[in-house]
Amino acid sequence: MGYGFQAVVTVIVALATLEATTLLQYFSSRKAMREEATRRAEDQLEATNLLICDVLDQVETAVHNNVWPVRKTLSTPDSLWSLTRRIVECNPSVSGSAIALVENYYPKKGRLFSPYAFRDGDRIDTLDLGRESYGYTGKEWFVKPVETGGGYWSEPYYDTGGGEMLMTTYSVPVTDAKGRVAAVLTADVSLDWFTDLVGNIDVYPEAFSALVSRTGKLMVCPAPALVMKKTVQEVAADLADSTAVRDIGLAMLAGEQGSRQVLYNGEKEYVFYAPIDRANWSMAIVIPQKEIYGDIQRVGLLVILLQVLGLLVMSVILYTSVKNQLQFREVAEKKSRIDSELRIAQDIQMSMIPKALQADTDEVDIDMSGIVVPAKEVGGDLYDYFVRDGYLFFCIGDVSGKGVPAALVMSVTRSLFRSVSAHEKSPRKIVSTMNESLADMNENDMFVTFFLGVLDLSDGHLRYCNAGHNAPVRLAARGCGFLEVVPNLPLGVVSGLPYEEQETTFSCGEGLFLYTDGLTEAEDVRHLLFGAERMQEAVRAACGLPAGKLVEAMREAVNAHIKGCEPSDDLTMLAIRYMNPSLSDAWERRVTLREVSEIPRLQRFMQTVSEHAELDHALSLNLNLALEEAVSNVLLYAYPEEADKEVDIKAMVREDRIDFTVSDSGVPFDPTAIPDPDLSADLKDRPVGGLGIYLVKRIMDEVSYCRRGGKNILSMTKKRSYGSTHH
Amino acid sequence: MTARLVGRLDTPAAAEVTQEIQPLLDHAGSTIVLDCSEMSYISSSGLRIFLTIRKAASAAGGHVVIQGLSNEIRQVFMMTGFLQLFEIK
Repeated sequence: MGYGFQAVVTVIVALATLEATTLLQYFSSRKAMREEATRRAEDQLEATNLLICDVLDQVETAVHNNVWPVRKTLSTPDSLWSLTRRIVECNPSVSGSAIALVENYYPKKGRLFSPYAFRDGDRIDTLDLGRESYGYTGKEWFVKPVETGGGYWSEPYYDTGGGEMLMTTYSVPVTDAKGRVAAVLTADVSLDWFTDLVGNIDVYPEAFSALVSRTGKLMVCPAPALVMKKTVQEVAADLADSTAVRDIGLAMLAGEQGSRQVLYNGEKEYVFYAPIDRANWSMAIVIPQKEIYGDIQRVGLLVILLQVLGLLVMSVILYTSVKNQLQFREVAEKKSRIDSELRIAQDIQMSMIPKALQADTDEVDIDMSGIVVPAKEVGGDLYDYFVRDGYLFFCIGDVSGKGVPAALVMSVTRSLFRSVSAHEKSPRKIVSTMNESLADMNENDMFVTFFLGVLDLSDGHLRYCNAGHNAPVRLAARGCGFLEVVPNLPLGVVSGLPYEEQETTFSCGEGLFLYTDGLTEAEDVRHLLFGAERMQEAVRAACGLPAGKLVEAMREAVNAHIKGCEPSDDLTMLAIRYMNPSLSDAWERRVTLREVSEIPRLQRFMQTVSEHAELDHALSLNLNLALEEAVSNVLLYAYPEEADKEVDIKAMVREDRIDFTVSDSGVPFDPTAIPDPDLSADLKDRPVGGLGIYLVKRIMDEVSYCRRGGKNILSMTKKRSYGSTHH
Repeated sequence: MTARLVGRLDTPAAAEVTQEIQPLLDHAGSTIVLDCSEMSYISSSGLRIFLTIRKAASAAGGHVVIQGLSNEIRQVFMMTGFLQLFEIK
């Protein structure tokens, strides 16, 4: 479960990271948007400030430029009219201009005199503001400049009796030649113009702007009813939560710049404010929070909610699927463990098959090739071979059953073959010993059909023992046929069973094709067996091929028969070909004798040799005599009385000679060392023994003895003289 | 007295024959004729029987005659110097 837990944790961490990223993005977007709003508001505030200041500048400049002309014109009061008219004419920003003279400046004109020019649509009208009812000397725009002696922007006011509109006035005192204040020169600016300018600010569709005078009066705001009627403080007082608005009001009146969040009519709004320096006014832009954040404010939380929900659903799905997968995985792991163990077992089993032949002599070439095709991962078929002391030991076997149990018995059988053959050369004894071991331990009624061969590499003589196995096919130049085998019982059936041994001799190029019943019993779709007939035919067709090619051809033949059907049994093939160049021109026969009474078999043996060598009767008889003398010598004297005796006789017919070998494992004895009998001795001194060996020497052309590998080996050669075969 | 030897006088046969030559040895003082016309083969064991009979005859003052030797067997006799020991007909 560790894996599943880990996977779930991994995915949850990944999803949480995703969620956190979304949140971070959400908040950073909000921040960016707020910054964007701030930037836009501040830009707008600054632009508006510049525009207003520009207008105020123009007005101030116009006023200041006319101070001197006014002073010049003081001497001719009526010319002041045209002056005011020209100021209005020349300055589009100026809506009206007055030159208000101090009391009783022109006695002829009365106490108050103030020429005033103002726009009335496209026209410019003039008017004397010196009516007592208007009483300009009490107006702020007149009093302040006189008091301060400098330019002054008045508080916005609705001018009744003058401009008849909402305006603000810039005024400067004008002094006469004596340096006394003679008049106040003014220029009016209509607040309609600011209302248009400020009111048209559209940072955001729902945003609005306000302009506040130095006393807090609302000069421009979206509610016309409040304009010039109320101050910021009064508006704040009307609100439920007035603190924030009042704070903003104070800050604005103090000429500060900044921004603040307020709750206004239940909605969050951002207020950005900045002073209009020139007039000591302050301007504010109010943007509802929802405008700033737009959709993300509205959708953002929903998105997060949906994501959390999705995450939960995903976790549940993931947990379920991981759990299922884990169960599947457990089963798969178990299966793969068995698979891998079987694969290892297969490797071990395949490694038991010998790789290449290690012959201990270069002169002898054994052409061998084998193949095991298990029906399952491991099988009960085996073949093996090795070379010891100039002998090739080989075997093929088929354990009853298939799969792992058969494979185990196969391993045991192979080990037995190796261990018993390590110190025994007689196939009969090897097979008997193996049978004892297998029968002893056989509690599962498994048995092994087995064929064992021991090939003398020096001359091609094969001794073999068949334990219930299929008869191998003999590979011979003159034709391939089944090797003659005695049907002994398979190994492991009954202990104490006698096994019979057989022998034959291979000429150069001859050999055996061994196989298991997986070959003959290979079935096609219709359950038709490959069979002995077809097999023999295939072997005949491939008989001339080297061992490797032959096995390959046989495999192709059986595959062609089964046509892709799944093999039901293990299939093993082994081809052995004896290649002895030194024997290539030799024909040879062997015979083994164990008792004196078997000596007459030599006659048949010699008959065969003579027929092959086309020897005449006399020579054949002589050679028979020589062999008999050599053999009887061994059987009578080489072994202790009660011992198992054995003497091997071999004849090799060559073009120019016939070689005979008589070998035995008896006590070391060199017959050639016996002195020749005295043939000229008197009858009574004539020896009874010694004649035999003497005859051998007389009959054969060469006689030599050697002791080799625990054996007495007597080699004899008879030269063949064509034309005169008589001695 | 005449003895007829038939077939192959090889080692095992010679062992059997040795058991049966007592009647011949009993007549060692007279003439013993060994008829070999139907003997096809002889080994040194067989030759030994001939020698045994020959020695017994010699000791008893008798006489051994061999007749009907084939060329092949004569050759064996020759090789072993037996031709000089027997009267061959």
